[in-house]
Amino acid sequence: MSCGVGGSSCETPRRRGALVMLVIMAAIFIVLSVFSFVKSRGQTTPDTITYGKYTADQGKRVFQAYNCMGCHTLVGNGAYLGPDLTGEYQRVGPAWLAAFLPSAAGWPTTAAVHVQLANPDQQADTGTDSMEAYLKKFPGAAVQIERRGGGTTYMPNLPFTRDEVGQLIAYFKYTAAMNTEGWPPKVEVVGLERRLQLAHGVAATVPAAASAAPAAAALEPAKVALDPTARGAQLVKDTGCLACHATDAKRVIGPGWGGLYNSQVKLADGSTVTADDAYLRESILKPNAKIVAGYPVSVMPSYETLLKDDEVNAIVTYLHTLEKQ
Amino acid sequence: MQIEYQTQRLSLRFFMLMLVLFIIQVIDGMILAAQQVDPTLLVGVINFNVARAEHLNLGIMWIVCGFIAAILFVGPLLSRREMVSPWLIKLLFYAVIIIVVENFFTQFLAEWGIAGWWLGQPWFQQGLEYLEAGRIAGLLILVGFAIVCYVVLRTFPPVREWNEVQWGLGLGVTALMVVWVFGLFYVARLDLQEYFRWFVVHYWVEGVWEVIHISLVGMFLVLMFKADIKSVGFAVFWGIALVWLSGLIGNAHHYFWIGTPAFWQFWGSLFSALEPLPLVFCFWHIYLDAHTNKLPLENAPAFYFLLGSMVLELVGAGILGFIMTFALTNVWSHGTWVTAGHAHLALFGTFGMLGIAAAYYAIPIMRNTPHYDQRLGKLAFWLVFTGMLGIAFAFSIGGTVQIYVYRILGLDWFGGDVWPAMGVYKLLLPLFGIVIATGAGILAYDLFTLGRRVRIPAGSDLRDTAHADVATPRAATGWGRPLTGFEAGVWLMAMWVFGIVVTFGLLAFNLPRVRVGGDPTLPYLLAGVGYPGLLLVTLGFVWRFLASMEARGAVADDLPAMAMLPAQA
Repeated sequence: MSCGVGGSSCETPRRRGALVMLVIMAAIFIVLSVFSFVKSRGQTTPDTITYGKYTADQGKRVFQAYNCMGCHTLVGNGAYLGPDLTGEYQRVGPAWLAAFLPSAAGWPTTAAVHVQLANPDQQADTGTDSMEAYLKKFPGAAVQIERRGGGTTYMPNLPFTRDEVGQLIAYFKYTAAMNTEGWPPKVEVVGLERRLQLAHGVAATVPAAASAAPAAAALEPAKVALDPTARGAQLVKDTGCLACHATDAKRVIGPGWGGLYNSQVKLADGSTVTADDAYLRESILKPNAKIVAGYPVSVMPSYETLLKDDEVNAIVTYLHTLEKQ
Repeated sequence: MQIEYQTQRLSLRFFMLMLVLFIIQVIDGMILAAQQVDPTLLVGVINFNVARAEHLNLGIMWIVCGFIAAILFVGPLLSRREMVSPWLIKLLFYAVIIIVVENFFTQFLAEWGIAGWWLGQPWFQQGLEYLEAGRIAGLLILVGFAIVCYVVLRTFPPVREWNEVQWGLGLGVTALMVVWVFGLFYVARLDLQEYFRWFVVHYWVEGVWEVIHISLVGMFLVLMFKADIKSVGFAVFWGIALVWLSGLIGNAHHYFWIGTPAFWQFWGSLFSALEPLPLVFCFWHIYLDAHTNKLPLENAPAFYFLLGSMVLELVGAGILGFIMTFALTNVWSHGTWVTAGHAHLALFGTFGMLGIAAAYYAIPIMRNTPHYDQRLGKLAFWLVFTGMLGIAFAFSIGGTVQIYVYRILGLDWFGGDVWPAMGVYKLLLPLFGIVIATGAGILAYDLFTLGRRVRIPAGSDLRDTAHADVATPRAATGWGRPLTGFEAGVWLMAMWVFGIVVTFGLLAFNLPRVRVGGDPTLPYLLAGVGYPGLLLVTLGFVWRFLASMEARGAVADDLPAMAMLPAQA
């Protein structure tokens, strides 16, 4: 009997042997798989993790909907344009994430993160409302604020809603709690200065974005102090206002400021007010008192405890100068 | 060669569709490469994650189109009868177009975070690497695979009469459909989701595409070299058996760090280290089959791409996969550019080049122009081949730098620390991208217009004049002399030596000197020697192999009698 020529197979006996081997392999694989997901393994599951009223599962759906995996990795899988996000919650904490996510094109400053700690959800999650305690608990946030704060990122601004930001934080809380068998490997080279020097091959310098602004301010303290407009301009940068507000009329997270002063603003309750000094002051200190039509409530934190009276005045003076463009 | 069965002609439309998708795929790749250099480019128009989703999905779709086309072309030859239900195949063609267009546009919804949640499932797009398609496209794709499966299995003779190639294709098209199902569910647990995602991705590539690939390569070797179907069948059987036996548990190399237990590190390191075995085996077989006789190549571009497919399967999938398959090396390569080097060379090299080879084999036959001008095809091969080797080089070395800065030094500011260090290698991506794009444009033009351009004047055979031109200089260097088995073995050995060097390069990141001391000299040195060495040996081997094949034409011209001697039935 010939095989192969008439189309029949020459390897039939061997195929049976291979099939038996394959079944054994499959059995091993299935047993290993079952042991991977049994409860006694103690792996964190998303149904046990919440942040405020948000669940990790809601966050996972947001993560998928924005295709975050198309630029970032999670447990190392995804794209390599941006950093791995698995342990991000543990490194920088929820307040930094809440400050960063709504306007991802800019790195949050101390004030922008500090403001988030006024949120009861944040206090419940981090166990503190003090910035010092927060930065101690999440040293990654301190480094990030110091090195990058106020600078621009390469991530585009995404139209996350307030709820979606909270849901994403819940999801990152879950991924950070997962046991990933020691990955990513622990960094064992000691000292940030030294690591920067090794990476860039020169004596470590604090990056320009972070160092230039305070240096410039230090050079001309008198001038800044005298000119409230310049002081206001500096304050809106330092306090993180620009993360959500544009200096022209564009909508980012909140309304744009260009041409806002003395214009007629339509409110959510249907009434109209004039954006005078009192209105602007109130909007900074008690943002929920008057909500502009088309914007959700409780997105902006209150700056009552964060800004001094003269600082608020300086910001309002600065707002006078912004044209509609 | 003539068309024997009319339904073979149905493959032509799928080859054309494959080329269109391939060109869009290359354009997408160029956008991504440019965005790697300048991330602000086209932001808000086509964000990086959207462009990447398109790049991955089109990468799958054009390769699948190539498979379908090749299967339609060889299916009737294998079964000795016409394909069943040609209307179903025509329907499939339009279904593929609808799926591709639907998925192309819904991917953009990621910029607004719209997944189309309904009944707990994302219907428009689901933001999972490789499986970005939403349920609408996913279910349609399942229907498409069912059609392919039905048509192929119905056309084939009864299972009892199957030869090895039919077994390979039969198992391949069935598994293609079955494995896809694992990607059609929303899974809330991240570890479980990744577990099932790799069912689709790994088992597709390793368990399905590889099987279809081995079978099709075997079939084309039979067609091109009149190789003995029995000996090819032997190779196909062992190829598939080894691929499945190593690859089934080999999937464990994706389960090292996704939240599954540490025991996977043992199983994954052990079994996936065996995964290159079938590839070495198949690599060796293309050498043997190409030397069945010493006749000149009838259709050089088809063989060029077929050889490219087998060699890049060994180098891209085999060796570059091997280096990062051990838990101790994977802990560093995981989540970096190093993996992208492997993926590009393996996916485009192995599967993409097979589709192009099949197109170059089938289209001249279907357009009835067996003596076409083969120069464009050869030029296109060298452009896409060297271009893709260059891309792999950029990703691999750039990835090594990324490991050092990101993992060893723990600097996670991509814009401020990681990218500046990777800068040069980022720049290489669009540069080699231009080389690939040029080659892709040439081959698409060539295949679109083949047989429709100005006819070659009767009596002149460009193929032979091309051979005569190059024969003389090659005689001086000896690159045209016949390739012996020993020499091929030496080339193969050299590839593996450099592969081992690269493996030690990744392993070296574990040394205290690197990890604690922060001194990258050793891993950089090993990577700097290993990757260029591996890729240059690959280039040299393919050059040498093809030069020896080309020289056959010249020999045949000078001594026509000699060509007849070793010919066998």
